[in-house]
Amino acid sequence: MQESQDLNFIAILMFSIFVLITLFITYWAANQTKTAKGFYTAGGNITGLQNGLAISGDFMSAASFLGISGLVYLSGFDGLIYSIGFLVGWPIILLLIAEPLRNLGKYTFADVASFRLQQTPIRTLAALGSLFTVILYLIAQMVGAGKLIEILFGLPYYVAVIIVGGLMILYVTLGGMLATTWVQIIKAILLLSGASLIAFLVLINFNFNFDSFFSAAVNFHDNGNAILAPGGLISDPVSAISLGLALMFGTAGLPHILMRFFTVKDAVEARKSVVYATGFIGYFYLLTFIIGFGAIILVSSNPEYLNADGTLVGNNNMAAIHLAHAVGGDLLLGFISAVAFATILAVVSGLTLAGASAISHDLYANVFSKSVNEKKEMMISKVATVALGIIAIFLGIIFEKQNVAFMVGLAFAIAASTNFPILLLSIYWKKLTTRGAVIGGGAGLMLAVLLVILGPVVWVDILKNSEAIFPYKYPALFSMAVTFILIWFFSVTDKSKTAKDEHKKFDSQYFRAQTGIGIEEGSHH
Amino acid sequence: MIIDNKIFNELKRVRQEITTRLLIITVFAYFSFISVIAFKPDLFGQPFLETNFSIGIILGFLLILLIFIVTLIYVYQANKKLEPLIKQIQTSYKK
Repeated sequence: MQESQDLNFIAILMFSIFVLITLFITYWAANQTKTAKGFYTAGGNITGLQNGLAISGDFMSAASFLGISGLVYLSGFDGLIYSIGFLVGWPIILLLIAEPLRNLGKYTFADVASFRLQQTPIRTLAALGSLFTVILYLIAQMVGAGKLIEILFGLPYYVAVIIVGGLMILYVTLGGMLATTWVQIIKAILLLSGASLIAFLVLINFNFNFDSFFSAAVNFHDNGNAILAPGGLISDPVSAISLGLALMFGTAGLPHILMRFFTVKDAVEARKSVVYATGFIGYFYLLTFIIGFGAIILVSSNPEYLNADGTLVGNNNMAAIHLAHAVGGDLLLGFISAVAFATILAVVSGLTLAGASAISHDLYANVFSKSVNEKKEMMISKVATVALGIIAIFLGIIFEKQNVAFMVGLAFAIAASTNFPILLLSIYWKKLTTRGAVIGGGAGLMLAVLLVILGPVVWVDILKNSEAIFPYKYPALFSMAVTFILIWFFSVTDKSKTAKDEHKKFDSQYFRAQTGIGIEEGSHH
Repeated sequence: MIIDNKIFNELKRVRQEITTRLLIITVFAYFSFISVIAFKPDLFGQPFLETNFSIGIILGFLLILLIFIVTLIYVYQANKKLEPLIKQIQTSYKK
């Protein structure tokens, strides 16, 4: 008992230092954030390196740090399937999306999708796609956060959820994108150094000889050599392709990620941000793999970390946390616990800011009011942030006992089936019309949700029906196909006058997308 | 008009060339990897040469490296080949 008290103390102390520093930054950022531009994009003056770090801070969630290293600990190779999937979306963003997005947009990706199409329907659809993605993601983060903090800090679940929600509301309403960016940068540096340190302390036991490291892991794991091969994660070809599609194209449709590209000066910096982000994220996934294998060797052999039945104390996501203790004692454990908490905060802040922007910039300023009143728009954005924060806390508490892992998968499926297709085609396909985008994107959104509800995860595991109506876990293959086919069909058959106008505007839009002439400039201080 | 702009057409052509090549490499490499997992998972379990690594783990690590290299190549080529053209168009519009 004595030991766990000390451990809580170190973790809480380190986390408090993090919170103090970030609140101080928020206070500083609040003074810089007087305009809507400052609020949504940090003034557009973030550098490529800073943005690359912030993107990785946005993207490397506690779920992927603890979840993937936990998956590697359990079944080895399968963890790599997720890592690669999460990484492979980045070249897609870089090659197809990043530069036109920066050149055409102002605050949200809906700016780009509605550049030459009709504002009201396209912004409404894009905002719906964003809000679905953001809220599903938020629930998954909140539930994960509550459980994690319950175990690490000994706080009750609901207290943990309220602390996360409350701090996030503070960061975002007061400091806007500038504070959110710096929270993400600090968190990314902490997470990368923490994970590097664990991996270093593991590998030093093997004199950095990977061959003997892997052979030790095989010897320690009950499944032996099987951990070096694909296991049960993907059981049939359709699921494999479907998951592959969702991961590859979903990343390019995540609103909180897309929003980060408006924080840099121009397309050159946007490009740079992706290279830095891909480097950091790729390196991080290599570390989670070493950490997972390290846990097989050092955690699974130590009764201190195991329940009587051989499972990990806490749950399987605790592999990295126990490993930190095994190689670095209470001090490293406290540090990694604090980093995990900081990680959750940074991710939910980015998500909430993206959700609030969809409400204030897309729905309020461009659909409901249509008049540009910056003060009012910013106020709506802050109100939306508080509302989303409260919704996140509320849903986090409701879903405490549910399995929420499928929600991130569904968020990716929606992003790949709605946000990504309308964004991609609005940039590159001249014949896209409002009618096509709304019907196709809307159908993709509904189908992705429906197929997940009727699929094995919700219909069988959660609703306790005996057999799934839709047999596959991952809907993206079907929902994406439906989106693209319907967009194509309802665009090419659209002979209306507005459709003709939309075709006409394509060339000048394409010109701006490629050259950045007419781009929204960063503000000068 | 914009459409007749020679440099802009050149920009479009070069960009398409760079992008298409790298996209094909990325999509092909990734879906080959996924397809082996879907259709022939045992192949990835084979040991790699005389080591304790499996073929799947080696290829997985190489794929992570490849993804990063693709982004490096793109930025290198974009800065070298696309930026001069974009700059040229931008200056001609400022006049």
